[in-house]
Amino acid sequence: MSSRLLALVPLAVAINVAMGFVVNQLGLPVYLDTIGTVLAVLLAGTWAGIVVGVLGQAIIALQVGVFMLAFAPIQALIAVLAGVAAGARGFGSPLRAAGWGAAVGLVAGAGSAVISYFVFRGVTATGVTGVATALRAAGLTLPLSVAIASVLTDVVDKTLVFLVVAALLRALPSRVARRLS
Amino acid sequence: MSVAPARLHPFTPFVLALAVTALAFLLPGPWGPPVLYLLVVLVLLAGGRGGAVRRGALLSLLPWIFLFLLHGVFGEGNRGSFAGSGLAIALGQGGRFGAIVTATVALTDAFDPSRFLDAVAVRGWSFAWAYLLVATLQAAPRLVARAHVIAEAQRARGLRRRGSIGRRLRALPPLVFPLVLGAVAELDDRAMALESRALEGVRHRTPLAPTPFRAADAAIAVACAVAVVASAAWLALR
Repeated sequence: MSSRLLALVPLAVAINVAMGFVVNQLGLPVYLDTIGTVLAVLLAGTWAGIVVGVLGQAIIALQVGVFMLAFAPIQALIAVLAGVAAGARGFGSPLRAAGWGAAVGLVAGAGSAVISYFVFRGVTATGVTGVATALRAAGLTLPLSVAIASVLTDVVDKTLVFLVVAALLRALPSRVARRLS
Repeated sequence: MSVAPARLHPFTPFVLALAVTALAFLLPGPWGPPVLYLLVVLVLLAGGRGGAVRRGALLSLLPWIFLFLLHGVFGEGNRGSFAGSGLAIALGQGGRFGAIVTATVALTDAFDPSRFLDAVAVRGWSFAWAYLLVATLQAAPRLVARAHVIAEAQRARGLRRRGSIGRRLRALPPLVFPLVLGAVAELDDRAMALESRALEGVRHRTPLAPTPFRAADAAIAVACAVAVVASAAWLALR
């Protein structure tokens, strides 16, 4: 593993963790905790993104509970899909970034819903549970409530993540981007 | 997880936390997981680790409330009333949450980065991966602190963090961009520092003060393995 990658991965994971603080400050109903993962994919490749995603989930697991490792495959999936989006110039314009973000959110949300329902019985340590509870109270079945809540929050979240990363790429000093890629 | 975690091998708290996680899913509900949670709490209290028990309960509080609402109140079959089967699911899953979260909090408390790196060096495992784990654990709180400073600075410049969703979304770039761009700008310095320490070429490190793997560590590992295997066998034969 190169020195640059050893320097990039902890910072990218730390960005994911710090986004939790930013979102709390603004009271936004999203997570944005994959900005570091997507950025790592764009700066150093899909494998770097997978390492950032899985390691980030391990850090969350150490803070919240070891069971959160169950979502590690979803983090890896997001990194792979971000790599595909990058290959298809998915960050070329805000519109393309939003489209790819929504598509990635759809897939990641569906995957998260399966894990959330079968491993956690619909209750995880995140705000998506509040949406699922409201839907359940409105009369929907538990699997449907969990699926809709998970997909809905993930589509909004990943669309925002891809838009922010696309804007960050334009703001990034070209010297830094060149050295990493 | 122990009476004196500092004397245990750095890998032993991981073994304990993983064993508690496995048992939480293997023991049948509704009573198995709550009993396991009670056992974890008693062991920690006996070891003077009341702080871990308290923080574990605080972290589990929100999931407990949601479990009670989702399964106990809005449970299948008896909508609007306390469903017996829903409450049983909530109790079992709540016990799982409590046991795993509390064991994880105790693990994090016992985690010592330098002892962990030494233990990895003794085993001859990849130093790069161990470094990534430890460096990330140290970088995350630092960046959160920086995010706090940036938020305060932007607030002093008139940034409004409350109001409609649109206004709060507009406040996102002034908080995110300085944080992320500042972190990326750090990369060169950090990579240089790692390179100057020849981290890339390190094959075998010499540990400074390795912690021995004592008989107590071996006994805990064997007890954990026996408990997990016995629970799995019992579950399969039931």
